[in-house]
Amino acid sequence: MKLTRGAKFALAVAASSALAVSLLTPAQAAGRSTVVVHETNSLTSFNANTPGTNLVTNSVVGYLSGSGFNYYNDKKNLVANKVFGSYKVVKNGADDFRTEWTVAPGRVWSDGTPITGVDLLLSHVLSSNAYSKAAGLGDPDGDAVPAFDSNGYGGTYSDNIVGEPTLSADKMSVTLRFKKRIANWDLYGPGVNAVHTMVLLAEGKKALGSVAENNAARDRFLTAFNTKNTATLKSIGKVWSEGYNFTEVNASTNPLFLVGNGGFLVESAVTKSSVTLKVNPKYNSGPALSGAIDTIIFKFISDGTAASQALANGELDIYQGQATADAVAALKKLTNIILVGGTGVAYEHWDTRVNASPGQPDYNGIFKGHGGKGADLRKAFLLAIPREEIVEKLIRPINANAVVLGSTFSVPGQEGYDRLTATNGSGFYTGSQDALNAKALRLVKKHYPNASPSNPLKVNVLVPGNNTRRAAEFALAKANAIKAGFDLVGDVKADWPGRIGNSEYDAVFFAYVANSVAQAGSNANFIIGGGNNRMGVALPNLDTILNKLQFPLDNRQVTSLIIQAERIIHAEGITLGVFQFPAVTAYNKDLKNVKPAPLTPTLVWNYWEWSY
Amino acid sequence: MLGYIMRRIGVSIMILFGSSFLVYNLAAYAGDPLGELRFSTDDNAKQQIIALTRELQLDVPPPLRYFLWLKGILGVFVGKLEMGMTRESSSVQGELAFAIPVTLRLVLVASVTALLLGLAFGIISALRQYSRFDYAMTFMAFVLFSLPIFWVAVLLKEFMAIQFNNFLSEPSIPLRWMFIFSCFTAVFWSSLFGGERKRFWSVFAGAFATNFVILWAIDFTDWYLHPGLGPILIGFLSVGIAMGVASISTGLTNIPARNAALTMAGLAVLWYYPAQWVFNNHGSYLVILLMLALIVGTGFICASLFSKIDRGPIARTAIITGVISGFLIFIDRVMQTWAPYRATDAVNGRPVPTYGQRKDQLVTDDFWLNNLDTIMHLILPTIALILISLAGWIRYTRGALLEVLNQDYIRTARAKGLNERTVITRHALRNTMLPLSSLFVGEFVGLIGGAVITERVFGWSGMGTLGIRAINSYDLNLLMGVTLLLSTLVVLGNLLADLVYSALDPRIRLVKE
Repeated sequence: MKLTRGAKFALAVAASSALAVSLLTPAQAAGRSTVVVHETNSLTSFNANTPGTNLVTNSVVGYLSGSGFNYYNDKKNLVANKVFGSYKVVKNGADDFRTEWTVAPGRVWSDGTPITGVDLLLSHVLSSNAYSKAAGLGDPDGDAVPAFDSNGYGGTYSDNIVGEPTLSADKMSVTLRFKKRIANWDLYGPGVNAVHTMVLLAEGKKALGSVAENNAARDRFLTAFNTKNTATLKSIGKVWSEGYNFTEVNASTNPLFLVGNGGFLVESAVTKSSVTLKVNPKYNSGPALSGAIDTIIFKFISDGTAASQALANGELDIYQGQATADAVAALKKLTNIILVGGTGVAYEHWDTRVNASPGQPDYNGIFKGHGGKGADLRKAFLLAIPREEIVEKLIRPINANAVVLGSTFSVPGQEGYDRLTATNGSGFYTGSQDALNAKALRLVKKHYPNASPSNPLKVNVLVPGNNTRRAAEFALAKANAIKAGFDLVGDVKADWPGRIGNSEYDAVFFAYVANSVAQAGSNANFIIGGGNNRMGVALPNLDTILNKLQFPLDNRQVTSLIIQAERIIHAEGITLGVFQFPAVTAYNKDLKNVKPAPLTPTLVWNYWEWSY
Repeated sequence: MLGYIMRRIGVSIMILFGSSFLVYNLAAYAGDPLGELRFSTDDNAKQQIIALTRELQLDVPPPLRYFLWLKGILGVFVGKLEMGMTRESSSVQGELAFAIPVTLRLVLVASVTALLLGLAFGIISALRQYSRFDYAMTFMAFVLFSLPIFWVAVLLKEFMAIQFNNFLSEPSIPLRWMFIFSCFTAVFWSSLFGGERKRFWSVFAGAFATNFVILWAIDFTDWYLHPGLGPILIGFLSVGIAMGVASISTGLTNIPARNAALTMAGLAVLWYYPAQWVFNNHGSYLVILLMLALIVGTGFICASLFSKIDRGPIARTAIITGVISGFLIFIDRVMQTWAPYRATDAVNGRPVPTYGQRKDQLVTDDFWLNNLDTIMHLILPTIALILISLAGWIRYTRGALLEVLNQDYIRTARAKGLNERTVITRHALRNTMLPLSSLFVGEFVGLIGGAVITERVFGWSGMGTLGIRAINSYDLNLLMGVTLLLSTLVVLGNLLADLVYSALDPRIRLVKE
């Protein structure tokens, strides 16, 4: 066929315009149903509960593939998962406190096996030091690794549990008995484990069992649990401790490892690269899925800039991280994403020394002693920390919504925070920095009439090394504190964590990491003999108040007690919160209902609500 | 010789022992593995500290703990090497075994390409000393020397991935860019050819016009959406390659060599369609290797057909031509995969990735899709690595070649009437390779450990990423694993470099002091 030049040209134009039209139509098909989520660290195991594998990525994958009795939401509140089951206090005695945990009928594992109370018992093996010792599985405090190398031993559950959990006659409920009332008892409930799969794995099985076989396997576990059969439990312990430490999943992976009851199940995984989860067709253990998402992929990207560029290039749908101000500025320029500032779990605070901490030489610095001169100078010092300026210059460029903390017990957005900060004595430390400086200088002059910006008092401060933000924070503090008559002498140390208690430092600043919300979570920082009381705080009246927090209370009572405690702490000038670590989340603007959350499982906490 | 090697190895072991002891203790005292747990408000933080202390043997002071670690390492002599566990409960050996191939894959291509390009540019630079090209290369080398890789990486991702992908969704090259780009290319080529002003401008005009037309054609046909070379283009390119290879390898005066090369070029065109069939139906690395062997075989046959004497250089010329032409056919096939690759769900119309080793969502058995995927993920980090190591090679090669060109034996070679090609390729280049060969060994060892930033920025989980992870999480066993491996490689690499040097250069003798 001969074509004239005109015809060829027309054909070419037609072909290229057809192509152009086809390209102009959105490349993203309307039916997109995959969400690619960024994680900073690689997956290392499918069991996130051993000391070595207790990492965010592992926990997040575990959260998607396993539902339990409750979860933390984006406001740091613990939400009960009523679809899965219910829990309540059944006996509220001072020395006999019992909680009952019931699985709702009809819940199933992804292999079709019904979930029962027996699946709640392994949790006891993983948490109780006494059971581990009694069953011959090893002493978690000893020199050898126990048979279940669990991260859950010790702590409130282990210290207070009495005997073993009792299973109800219908095997759907478990009752825990504690030797005293437990604050936040809802945090110390049983976890859910597909014990039948572990029994089958321990027996060397390579394929999913039938429901009947699974039920029989579960009964074998129950017998071993009740009779404390060391050999059987040890073989299960080996599977639990080591079996799940793989990072490559493909068609040849033993399916028994991948059974779960969460909304999504692990489908495939590539070592140090990604893990892919597909919707669990048998899921009925939690809130109903939106149905719009059928695949969730976690992509491991350790470098923040790289991750934000991957987001810009459409390789990621959700990016999260402790971004730098530069990275945030770059993200703001992108048009195809939504950027949300958020907070991490760590909060920065300044502490002043009251006395030597145990094992340290005497402290004779200017802040020494409770009340009187020491308290006045400590308050003056904390007044001189330009908290608003620190937040404005260092934190808001990353999280525009950041505010100065008014409490070290609770954070903005948490229940009761506003009532707390209104009356907890933090008002003393708020106002314009000029006014605060003047107030501080008056307090200083009360004890050192000659002190002035030109004749300042020396304060030795431990400055955490290897951290640009803290270097900047210290520089801002030093520049302002001189106006209040304090000369901050910084000692930059890379190995600062071990030096906080040293008597040579009058003040320190660092961050605590609050991985859970517990009433008594801050007690160890202040009570006499507390594990984190490194500043020599010794106030019996404060201890009395804080000790009350160790028992179950309603939210209002908790807030009232914290107000009383913080009034004392603020009046003594012991500690002052500055900011919550900023975090950044940015996501594909087509994606809906993504709500960043500071606590594990972070932003996947409401995966069932996600949709396009 | 053997005594020399044994002594060097003995000294190396002492060095490794000393350095590992130092590094172990420095690292152990530098950070607190329990630091994070100390500030945990977890209910059972104390228990977690006990467990970690037990796991990492933190109750043993570091100088003594070193010997516990060393005991495992010395197990290598009884065939039971034990490098310990990482903090994430995986074995250090496993981590290293996973990381080394990844790093090698990344570094090998980049090093070899940088070496070849650097050699080529350096040689031309030296031969055209103080020409425009030489100044341009010197300028470029110093610019490249001063580029920080993390910044190069960010720019590469921005322009060659994000912007290019955006461009592909509405592809059209603006006229002014065609103009600017053509000018740029024309300057490059005319500087490369050198010569008088008249020659400069005629080359400039030719290159400009050619480039402009090519760009226009690419734009008009939307070639970047359906790229490919086709048999005709491959034919033209192969003939060019044949002439080029022949002129460098044997000189165009060697008629049989030239004819053999041209025959190979012709065969490449003839083989185009059969090769397509093979590629489509039996695509695999094995088949490609077999085809490579076939080309080599054909090259020999070709050489024996065209000449009865002195077949070596002729075969060499034919084989090089054949391999390059064959490579073009391979490239063409990879290009043909571009459109289907872009259309896959995993790629979603954005083919240039900024991150990772492969698209895990791309689940396919198709050899070509997987192959292109690997190539796409290699492109940006490879360019970044080439850019930073290219400069060094250009300068080294230029300096070494200039030095050799001033030697007496070069003057002698010229004086006895050898043509310039022979003087350069046979007398000058071979001697230039001497210092470069030892450099390459060192450079390669350095690259394995030194691709830290590139790996991290581009998400390759190789040795560099491993090292960073070890440092960030105070993972002593892992850190020691990485350091020990790298220091062993450095020590062995140096030894190897010395041996290679003495083997190549008869003037060097390795003797006992």
